[in-house]
Amino acid sequence: MKTADEKILVLPDRFRDPFLFEGIISMGGEFQRTGITFDLSRVGFMEPYSMVSFLLLGRNYLRESGEKIKLVNIPVKLHQYLARMDFFEKDIFEVPEILNEKLFLKRTAESRRLIEIKEIPNKEKKSIKVIASVIALFRKRASLILKYWMSESVVDYFVTVISELCQNIFEHSLDSGYLAIQTYNTGRENIARLVISDSGIGIRKSFENKENMSFETTSELMEMALTMPISSKRPYGYGLCQVSTIVERLKGGIYMRSGDASLTVLYNKKERGASYIFHKNGLEYFSGTQISITLSSK
Amino acid sequence: MIIRIVKIAKEAKAELPDLITRPVGRKMYERTAEKIGNIDRDETVILDFDEVKVIDSSFIDEFIVTLINDSQKKGFFLKLCNVSNIIEINIESVFQSHSRYNRRIAIMMDDLGNNNRYYIGPLADFENDIIDYLRINRHATIDDIVKFSGLNDEESEKTMHELVDLRLIRFYDNKYTNV
Repeated sequence: MKTADEKILVLPDRFRDPFLFEGIISMGGEFQRTGITFDLSRVGFMEPYSMVSFLLLGRNYLRESGEKIKLVNIPVKLHQYLARMDFFEKDIFEVPEILNEKLFLKRTAESRRLIEIKEIPNKEKKSIKVIASVIALFRKRASLILKYWMSESVVDYFVTVISELCQNIFEHSLDSGYLAIQTYNTGRENIARLVISDSGIGIRKSFENKENMSFETTSELMEMALTMPISSKRPYGYGLCQVSTIVERLKGGIYMRSGDASLTVLYNKKERGASYIFHKNGLEYFSGTQISITLSSK
Repeated sequence: MIIRIVKIAKEAKAELPDLITRPVGRKMYERTAEKIGNIDRDETVILDFDEVKVIDSSFIDEFIVTLINDSQKKGFFLKLCNVSNIIEINIESVFQSHSRYNRRIAIMMDDLGNNNRYYIGPLADFENDIIDYLRINRHATIDDIVKFSGLNDEESEKTMHELVDLRLIRFYDNKYTNV
């Protein structure tokens, strides 16, 4: 039953890449009322970054208001996909429409080009166990996930990236986060995307008390973190810098968003001598740090 | 002494084939330090990474860097063997960071690495040449190094002293030898 102040928002089909998802984040002001319902009827597809960010958006709302956002009119294919990715298991959204069990996507070997959404806890001990289990699962499914890029060293590169980014969650964000991986096709392009995101304090706040650091914008700080061995906790660090080195070797892309800024690094463009680092500041504020690592092949 | 990392990892109940995170590195270090507790000065400890696929920067910081610090304090030597491509890349990256903000560190390898060198760490080309020279000739005096490198006496001595401090070469009986 609708309450007097319940509002239904029909979400636009902006879940196809991290840049389009800005359109959803920028609707932030409209989410500030209780009893909100999202109509997903226009959403045709959700890639992993948008899916995990959407989950964080729901979690932020739940924490602030104590209420779950309701999701209605979910297209069957999207509903199947979200169920397959364990999106609803996180118990963040209220989903009144039940998907018929017969329609659940089978968890066969062929449908394992993904790692379902995993929560990365913010406590070191628990987190280490989860990271080890995620990496073990990734190794099992690597031949399917990285089918178009497969070699022993690419798998090892990805293991390093998963390890470094997941540890950043419990070391720096002061909150738990989520990981998801999916390989999918758009047109003739094959895309493997690893997403590791949290809704913690964000990169700018984590470097707040760090002396001898000079930067103006958050995106500038993000670029420093990717290109120099800096750390908010120790005299120097390795994590993001190491991730960047590996993604460069793989000629992949990094999309990083924190607070009101984003940084896009496209290493495949670097080789061609084109501009490959793109800064954006003054975006709608979204708490935490969200990172997407992408490999693509045609 | 050869330390089989897989064996230590199993004893420490660490998940294989990947050794990641700081707590795992610390646990592995404690067990390794126990094993090499009574090692003689100038003895070489070989860390054998056979069957290990990935070690991340946190593990490297807690395990390898701490062992290097111990080797410099206690006077033993360290060498790596059977390191995978990504292990070499990750160690190189950690050593580069250390050298940029702290002090220079490096480690010898038993086999030729993907970097086409017998060590990992930020050494200058002339230092690399000296390492190669010692690998081939086994030992050298300062006069040999002066002749080979083209550095003067003072520069040669300083360079050799630094390589000894890094525990990449030995100095014994007025001769420099490879590790």
